[in-house]
Amino acid sequence: MAVRAPFSVRNQPGFVAIAAICMFALYLPICTYVSYAFNSSGTGNGWEGFTLKWFGIAWQNREIQDAAWRSLQIAVVAATAATIMATLAAVATTRTAPYRGLTLKYVLINQPLIVPEIVTAVALLIFFARIKVWTDYSGMGYLFIAHTAFCIPFAYLPIRARLEGMDLTLETAASDLYANGWQTFREVTLPLLWPGIIAGYMLAFVISLDDVVITDFIKSGGQDTLPTFMLGQIRRSISPELNAAATGFLALSVLAVTVFYLINRKRN
Amino acid sequence: MTWKLKTLIAALALCSGAGAAQADGELHIYNWGNYTSPDLIKKFEKTYNVKVTLTDYDSNDTALAKVRAGGHGFDIVVPSANFIPIWVKEGLLLESRPDQMENFKNMDPRWVDVPWDPGRHYSVPWQWGTSGPVVDTAIYKGDINTSAIWLDPPAELVGKIDVVPEMNDVMYSAIKYVGGKWCTDDKAVLKKARDTLKAAKPKWLAMDYGIEKFDTHDYAAAFYYNGAAFRAREVTPTVRFGFPKEGFALFMDSVAVLKDAKNPENAKLFQNFIMDPENAALISNFATYANGIKGSEKFMRAGLKDAPELNIPAEFAAVAEWQEICNPEVNELYTKIWKDLLK
Repeated sequence: MAVRAPFSVRNQPGFVAIAAICMFALYLPICTYVSYAFNSSGTGNGWEGFTLKWFGIAWQNREIQDAAWRSLQIAVVAATAATIMATLAAVATTRTAPYRGLTLKYVLINQPLIVPEIVTAVALLIFFARIKVWTDYSGMGYLFIAHTAFCIPFAYLPIRARLEGMDLTLETAASDLYANGWQTFREVTLPLLWPGIIAGYMLAFVISLDDVVITDFIKSGGQDTLPTFMLGQIRRSISPELNAAATGFLALSVLAVTVFYLINRKRN
Repeated sequence: MTWKLKTLIAALALCSGAGAAQADGELHIYNWGNYTSPDLIKKFEKTYNVKVTLTDYDSNDTALAKVRAGGHGFDIVVPSANFIPIWVKEGLLLESRPDQMENFKNMDPRWVDVPWDPGRHYSVPWQWGTSGPVVDTAIYKGDINTSAIWLDPPAELVGKIDVVPEMNDVMYSAIKYVGGKWCTDDKAVLKKARDTLKAAKPKWLAMDYGIEKFDTHDYAAAFYYNGAAFRAREVTPTVRFGFPKEGFALFMDSVAVLKDAKNPENAKLFQNFIMDPENAALISNFATYANGIKGSEKFMRAGLKDAPELNIPAEFAAVAEWQEICNPEVNELYTKIWKDLLK
């Protein structure tokens, strides 16, 4: 009797081909784009040799600097705030017996995933415009609030998935040993939850970093982020220094993900 | 204060940089992306001791939507000619009276009594231009002053044409090409325009922004803007811009002050500032379109002043006109054709 290989998706016909196509579709455009940043041809057509000069030029471009710095500020603030709220929400919606209205809460928390971005953007534009007129404040606060709001579900989903996969007996045991609610959370839940929180934070960070539509609608004077700035350039041409700036940003994200991954692996 | 002291202070203020005293503060400009010369901004900041911020938009509609909502924080906006009547009608612009400003004398009389801002009570020209055929004359030697270049392309150009993905510009040229009037709702004309476009599309390579690909000879022709054609020629010397004899549209973006501007005085200073020929030349040097200020040619960078792309030949001037905004019903028809074309 022949031994059948256990089921594995890898053995399915066409697996390699489909995987290869996916990898190409995901990474080929990015690789092409990144290569432009190192191309000494100013028009981005044809390879004319390797250069790092665009990075230097981008580094000195005040507009790119400002936009990049603003993007980072917003992403850090929004991802931090969203992750804290998402963690609390995730604990509250998983460590409880199901009750009427729980599903409604899921839906409310995940609303930014369901409502088209342009609808949120227009709604926020009208809403914030009123507040701006009344308060005469038109600082970065609006961008922080808006980004936090639409980042929450992205932080919430991985954290909730982690919570649901965690062994409840550990928390029950902590309670049995007279740990109070806070101690249980602090000493048992949070350390176990940490990878989920980091994953949620990273996701929120990246989502905030590349948002265009909502940012474009609610930004005030002098509040272009790197994505809205790049969008503004597109009618003329994407300049190589912009490619360089975007490549720098990509490197930063990859670096961040790698660092978090390494931290994570050590802990486990 | 004695009059002597006053005079002394005034004299000092003059020496230290042209009346900087009354203009300290901020100015928030809301303009098309990649359109504003950084040198111009630096010069304005230095001259008037004003901190300038620049924020980008990528369409007239976005800009209008944001300003309409209020609380935007901008002082200056640069709408296209066909949008200015909407801005004025909705009461979004301040009647800043550029026509009474000191540097108004420099404005080319040709641009003073424009239908969308007669006598220039609201706006100052930023840049103007036109769209038309761009051809690499190393590949095609025939007449380029016709929309047939991209609407019924000669064999040499087939499969090597880029067309700008802008509905109004494309529709305008197509309607003119088949002998119609802009904003017409004549079904026979529109059917002809649609058929022409649909027959031409398989002969195009792309519908993209940017015509840098003349450099690698991926593009041999394009339907694009004259300023961009100038930049393409700087890289590839055989590239030429044609003025289609069937008719072509003019566009102009103009600087206007917003009614709810927080810094209206600085905004007016800016309007006056860019009517100075030397400053207007800075705008053109950066974005390579003509600016509408007399005498600015003297300060333009080499090659730009006499660029054939920026100077409409007398023989074609008569077929150039402003591209109005059509009424919503007509616009809907055009959108339908456009969507059909993009399929």
